[in-house]
Amino acid sequence: MKSNRRLIQVLIFLGVIVLGGYAIGNSLFADGGGLPRKGSKPPAFALLDADGKTHRLEDYKGKALVINFWGSFCPGCVTETPDLEAQYKKHGDKPFEIVGINLSEDRLTINNFIKQYGVSYTILQDNNRQVESAYGLKSYPTTFFVKPDGTIMDVFIGPMGEQDMDERITKLLAS
Amino acid sequence: MSLLDFSSDAFIVAFFLYCFGFLFYGVSALGRKWSKRSPEEHIRRWGRVAYIVSLLGFIAHLTFFFTRWSGGGHIPTSNMYEFMSFLAMAIMAAFIVVDAIYRKPLLGLFTLPLVVIIVAYAAVFPQEVQPLIPALQSYWLKIHVTTAATGEAFFAVGFAAGLMYLLRTVDFKKTDQRARREQRWVEFTLYVIIVIIAFIGSVFGFRGAGYEANFKQETVEIDDSGAENSTVNTVEYSLPPIFKPYNSQVVTMDSFLGIDKPLFETPHWMHGVDAARKLNTITWSIVNGSILYGLLRLALRKRIGAAIHPLMDGIDEDDIDEISYRAIAIGYPIFMLGALIFAMIWAYIAWSRFWGWDPKEVWALITWLYYTAYLHFRLSRGWHGSKSAWLAVIGFVVVMFTLIGVNLVLVGLHSYAGV
Amino acid sequence: MSAFENTKCECGHQNPTGTVLCENCGYPLDPEEESSEAPLEMRYDGIARRSQKANPNPIDRVWNFFSSVKVAVRLIVITLIAAMIGTIFTQENAFISFDPTTYYEGKYGWIGKWYYKLGFSNTYESWWFIGLLVMIGTSLVICSLDRVLPLYRALNKQQIRKHEQFLVRQKTVYTGEIEGPEDVWTDNMAKQLKRKHYKVHMEGGALLAEKNRFSRWGPYVNHIGLIIFLLAVLLRTLPGWSIDNYVTVAEGDTVKVPETKYYVKNEKFTIDYYTDAELPKELKGTARAKLYETQAILYTCAADCDDPSKEPKLTEVKRHNIIVNDPLSYNGIKAYQFGFDDTPKLKAVNPVLIDKKTGKSYGPFKLDMRNPQLNFELGPYSLELRQSYMDFALNSDGKPTTKSREPNAPAFVFLLKGPGLSDKGEPYMYFPKQNDKARFSQDVINGELAERFELKVPAMEGVEFTPVETSLNIRYDRAMPYIWVGAGISMFGLLLGSYWQHRRIWLRLDNGRVTLGAHTNKNNYGMRAEVTSALRGIGIVVEPKSLDNGRNKS
Repeated sequence: MKSNRRLIQVLIFLGVIVLGGYAIGNSLFADGGGLPRKGSKPPAFALLDADGKTHRLEDYKGKALVINFWGSFCPGCVTETPDLEAQYKKHGDKPFEIVGINLSEDRLTINNFIKQYGVSYTILQDNNRQVESAYGLKSYPTTFFVKPDGTIMDVFIGPMGEQDMDERITKLLAS
Repeated sequence: MSLLDFSSDAFIVAFFLYCFGFLFYGVSALGRKWSKRSPEEHIRRWGRVAYIVSLLGFIAHLTFFFTRWSGGGHIPTSNMYEFMSFLAMAIMAAFIVVDAIYRKPLLGLFTLPLVVIIVAYAAVFPQEVQPLIPALQSYWLKIHVTTAATGEAFFAVGFAAGLMYLLRTVDFKKTDQRARREQRWVEFTLYVIIVIIAFIGSVFGFRGAGYEANFKQETVEIDDSGAENSTVNTVEYSLPPIFKPYNSQVVTMDSFLGIDKPLFETPHWMHGVDAARKLNTITWSIVNGSILYGLLRLALRKRIGAAIHPLMDGIDEDDIDEISYRAIAIGYPIFMLGALIFAMIWAYIAWSRFWGWDPKEVWALITWLYYTAYLHFRLSRGWHGSKSAWLAVIGFVVVMFTLIGVNLVLVGLHSYAGV
Repeated sequence: MSAFENTKCECGHQNPTGTVLCENCGYPLDPEEESSEAPLEMRYDGIARRSQKANPNPIDRVWNFFSSVKVAVRLIVITLIAAMIGTIFTQENAFISFDPTTYYEGKYGWIGKWYYKLGFSNTYESWWFIGLLVMIGTSLVICSLDRVLPLYRALNKQQIRKHEQFLVRQKTVYTGEIEGPEDVWTDNMAKQLKRKHYKVHMEGGALLAEKNRFSRWGPYVNHIGLIIFLLAVLLRTLPGWSIDNYVTVAEGDTVKVPETKYYVKNEKFTIDYYTDAELPKELKGTARAKLYETQAILYTCAADCDDPSKEPKLTEVKRHNIIVNDPLSYNGIKAYQFGFDDTPKLKAVNPVLIDKKTGKSYGPFKLDMRNPQLNFELGPYSLELRQSYMDFALNSDGKPTTKSREPNAPAFVFLLKGPGLSDKGEPYMYFPKQNDKARFSQDVINGELAERFELKVPAMEGVEFTPVETSLNIRYDRAMPYIWVGAGISMFGLLLGSYWQHRRIWLRLDNGRVTLGAHTNKNNYGMRAEVTSALRGIGIVVEPKSLDNGRNKS
């Protein structure tokens, strides 16, 4: 009887600690509006490139990956493009990829942009803002740094300077 | 539309019958001192007359309700006027139920004025039948609003009994600190009620006189891109402007008691919806309420509470305490069902979520938590009697804030029910 | 409470620590109760709460904390005040995009600044508010458990013959001499009480009548319901248990619902307003919405779902006209009418190319705003689309750019080729909107070419707008059934506890003298009325008021 009672007490406290801890923890680490967190896996996507070829997130498994959301209407995106291109060239020999996901603009605009800035990394076209909203974007540009194991190392919101980019990509390649 | 006209007439009839009912309850309580009959006989007789008149008022009120329902095509609980008059009707129903259990004529002396005030307050709002917007087109409008209001009506009866208890037990002759504090608060409660009466009186007085004042108000707002946008709105007053809107010009203004221009300007930091008009109305209510209170004090030559207190002689205070508690205990499950559970079901159907922390929802929860605390307090012996009565009085303030305050002061999804 | 308590009653029963009234005979053990003359404290029948122990250890102390109703009420009051504060200013989650760090201070001054800093701008999701709810939940479990089991035991093995002290200190008491033999009297009384639906137990000159015991369990059933409700709310936060998405679908379009395998089509969207005839005279002339309706079709994807190079193969699963109070519902997925956008957006124009010299026109051709065709053959001329800008502007370097991806101020650069033009072609800039054409001086940009050619939409029919868009809220909530079950159980328990009262009447006969005590957990008024009526049944007439014990002190 007595040990039974103690057992029930302990069980209830355990329950409270687990459930209550989960509830409070949830509110403590609530993500602001669904942007994927560091350490989590980015949402999957399947999008077309300029040649009509399908690219999927899982195609890049095992490689260091930078996912950059951009649009020709966003001045910050335009200014960081040459630096991204330089980084891509610099690390061309390593298992490293950059994917630029366009923010649902049209084909012509994207092709003109690729031509104008001589972009050689993969540019994909989002449709109807689907991937953009899956990634919870609120402002542009936003860049995700994904480690070869498929988890997010860092998220950068806003235009990156050369140094921001270099630091993160170096760290990404070291992981 | 003649059905609706008939309905409006029934509303007025109900109002006057309630007034007479109150009057007769007054006679029954006041008159036993000077009546030739024995006090018990007097109370019984006049209590009966008062009860029948009030019951007739209730029947007229029901007639109003159902004819308006049939004439308007939907249940009349969809705007402030309809809701408030339904609430008054529900309070009458709750009173009838509680009175059937306890048979205490004096309960009517406190419930009837409450009903009269709420009916009059309902009439402050626009009275036309408004066709339902899509969000309200659901049978849950009938179920949710009526049950929630019924629960609240029992809380109102609990409040009436609580106030009655206080007026019965607070000794206005004692002068120790505790007694003085209780006297002050009872008096303040009565003062607030008088201010509310003054508010309704002022609105109808000036409306009857056709008073009008118009202002042009310029508001400057800075938008996201940093540009200044100024908009000019017309603000209409139906009470003479003590406070004119901030940064505004008089367009037209009837003169009142020789005052033909506004006395003050509303401070700039009050910029809620219609803030200036609300401030002006509140000022008028307090001024008129204070005058009314002063006149009553002069006429009675003592505090109002002290004047009412002797009328309560001989009433069993424990019975009133129990009535107050019982009314709340009856209302609590109904309130939970209507204001929380049915509300959640409807919110789930209409707004896709059962709970969204909308101010109205939060205040329904606050009301529920409040009465939950009340019921748990009652479990311990120390919280019977006067503490419990105070809780019942404050509880009704919480209820009224949930019903009216949220719509007038806070913003949210329930705003369609506003003025 | 003293460290050592004598818990052995004079009737010989050994009670647990903390017992107020002897479990056996009901004699008050608590010294304070014993010396008093007021009605007994009958809460939980005077039993010892489970947790009351002589030497509490830390776990017991925490347990005792949550086991106290006083603590529970305090928690409720704190939650209530916190909830009130949370309604002062609009909460963060009511906004779609804004910056809370500046908004509150900007709008409400220093009060707003502190409101934000103290975390009240997000009260209901904050860790401390959730923490309060967790504590209330804990208290619900422990308070109930601590009381319900001992109470169950106490009510299950009730002694019929109680101590006289116990009877005369109930709230409803009657004592008197009886006439005739004792057993006849008790039998008559038992008959009366049975007629009032009491269960009657008798034992040598003592009687216990009881009814509606189940109502005692009401509060505990209610608490169980509340706990289920709270747990169900917690369940919703598990990954995969709920989906909350918004899709915007133009009339005629089919759109994928994010996070699901479903697609939704908007066949037709309708907005109806009340006509003046339906409106009262105060509202005539105002646009008062009567109906928002999306005729929707829900599809699942059968094949090629995840390949943007192919069209997905869809199978229709449900067709429903969604209105505000009537969502589409399929397999737990619900689609709610949320909003609409009927501001006209340019979709396509059908311009013609005019040769100003000859006055001849070629075309029209269709120029879509989104993904337009790139080459157009117009009689002897050809147009090649080179650039498009959806929201034309000049950047700081004076170069053309677009401000957004919405066709607010579309502009197109064509290469015009044909007779009398250079072989490489000549660039021609085209602003389909008339006001943009003037604003950005199209003719100046095109220079000499503007005098020879013009692209122009001949009539209003040449302009196409996007159809009305409906926005639907797509929800999936696996925990909803548990939420309703919890709410239902809680409501059921509340009804049991509120509208029925547990009533018990004890009486004992000692040498021709009857002592009767009655107890109810609620509504003593009704209890007295019932005892009066039972007594009247056997010929004893009393005023209900006279049974009232310990009140009307005067």
